[in-house]
Amino acid sequence: MNILTRIGQNWSRFGLFLIIVAFWIFFSSVSHAFLSDFNLFTMLRLASCMIVIGYAQMVVLSAGEMNLAVGAIGGLMSLFVGGLMEAAHVPSIPAVLICLVVSALVGMVNGLLVVGTGINSFVITLATANIFTGIMYITTKGNAFNFMPPDFIAFGKTRLFGLPISPLILVMLVVTVFLFFLYRNTALGREILAVGANRGAARMSGVRTSRVLVIVHTLSGFLAGVAAVMMTAMLASAVPATGTDWLLPSFVAPALGGTLISGGNVAVVGTLMGGLLLGTLNSGILMLEISNFWLQFFLGVILLLTIGLDRLRAIHAERAVVQ
Amino acid sequence: MTKTSLLRTLVNIEWAGLLGVVILAVVIMAFASPAFLSTYNQYVLMRDVAITLLVALSQLVVLAIGQMNLSLGMIGGLVVVITGGLMEVWHVPVPLSVLIGVIVGTACGLLNGFIIVRSGINSFIVTIATSSVFLGINYGMTEAVPFYNLTPEFKAFGQARWGSFPPILIVTIIVTILIAIFFARTIPGRQILAVGGNLLASQTSGVPVGRTVMMAHAISGAIAAVAGILLMARLGQAQPTIGQNWLLPSFAAPIIGGVALSGGSVTIMGTVLAALLIAIIQDALVLLNADPYYVQFLLGVLILAAVGFDRLAKRQREA
Repeated sequence: MNILTRIGQNWSRFGLFLIIVAFWIFFSSVSHAFLSDFNLFTMLRLASCMIVIGYAQMVVLSAGEMNLAVGAIGGLMSLFVGGLMEAAHVPSIPAVLICLVVSALVGMVNGLLVVGTGINSFVITLATANIFTGIMYITTKGNAFNFMPPDFIAFGKTRLFGLPISPLILVMLVVTVFLFFLYRNTALGREILAVGANRGAARMSGVRTSRVLVIVHTLSGFLAGVAAVMMTAMLASAVPATGTDWLLPSFVAPALGGTLISGGNVAVVGTLMGGLLLGTLNSGILMLEISNFWLQFFLGVILLLTIGLDRLRAIHAERAVVQ
Repeated sequence: MTKTSLLRTLVNIEWAGLLGVVILAVVIMAFASPAFLSTYNQYVLMRDVAITLLVALSQLVVLAIGQMNLSLGMIGGLVVVITGGLMEVWHVPVPLSVLIGVIVGTACGLLNGFIIVRSGINSFIVTIATSSVFLGINYGMTEAVPFYNLTPEFKAFGQARWGSFPPILIVTIIVTILIAIFFARTIPGRQILAVGGNLLASQTSGVPVGRTVMMAHAISGAIAAVAGILLMARLGQAQPTIGQNWLLPSFAAPIIGGVALSGGSVTIMGTVLAALLIAIIQDALVLLNADPYYVQFLLGVLILAAVGFDRLAKRQREA
């Protein structure tokens, strides 16, 4: 009974878990290659990137904000870290650390603009997304960095313990634990959620909303930077196109996991599973041996169905409560 | 009317500041580059405005109900390959191909609206997902290969030039006037604004909210379709990639023009001027041999400047 109630309470995440399991069973029955060592390695690596991209959006969503610049920051930071290592010959570890600090500062610019002007974060980050992408193209002239230090490249290619486990997965897990702890156990985490649920009420009860908004945007920039470093290591090159296709995963991973776009709630583990589903679909649909061109279509349809299914569940849950 | 009261009237018109900026931009450009006022450049400028303005209006209709349509570019692209395919592969006459194209665009928009109303999911998430669906159908059908052999008269229309006037702009002008009349004078138009202004109030006063939301999305799809078809005529080929860079201008022009994201109000004149300003800036960068990469950067700065200015002006007016 106790277990059943708990499953009921966490049905959103549990349901998503079942959907992922169903897809794994389906794809592996269609193709043996799906569970091959190689595919597991690349799929989990890609999923880790998508999850962190999802986190970068999740942290702002939880405060009732949006960051359309997640992808633009990702692109800018990918070339920044690549340029530091290849053009400026900075060793990989300092380069990554500098990149992460700058990412946080770039995110902070968004936060300060939102707080300073009082303008909707959608508009601010739409504008800054173009400014960041513009800066990236102006400084690099659209060139890529393909010759980064061997230890950095190795980070994206290594398998840990002889298993199909990339170090990138560990990075993702560290970020997950950090965010889980932030929202579960800290005053700041609760303040962020309070601001997301009702900004006016949060201010009345003594939460410094401006400070919270700057912090979530800074954190969002930082996480976009982490994703950029992961993606650069995975691709073994820093290309200007990085980040252009992050809009969908950044919003869909949290939305699948049960984070509301209107703010006030957060689902860290849900976002993790949302990103895992995106990674699964991306590599699984390839196994179906349908034309590559239809991939996008199936991805869209499955996402709509999954989001719709979750919505149906929520409606039923509300009805059950009313009755 | 005295000078001061005329000035006050101007300050109170929301788009007056923007008009000033556009005039300023034209004057600066006229001095900076002699080619700016040439007949050919005027033609290029108006040709760009014809497309940018339609893309902006497609977003504006949905913004009016306080929602968003992130899929309008993908609708444009899908309509382009369907219309182009009908002309090239099936030899369907131009008017019928265009009609089918607009119907497809309307249907795509209607699908967006239907899913949003029925599921209650945020329009932002729904249209991100349908973007993927529309782009997938586009690529699945064409395998990303463009149609080059469009009907000659159709291409001729898209590439015609009457002095400095591009005929495709006629279509844009007609659509703009229709949309202006729609919001100002028709019941469905007013209902869209009512739903955007106050959902609950409009619901209790008998506005069919679901139907109104679906209609706004259907109109958005139809305008995106027209934008795609005009761009296809201008380029002379049905490129599957058409529409993929529409997202930014679709929001930029209405926002610079003073449309609130929260819905309930639209300013057609502001959006027209903003589309004109965006076209002038893009054109100016080409004429001044600036790095094309600066376009995106400046567009971002412009959005920030415009909304920041608007905020200041509102504070002044309230004070």
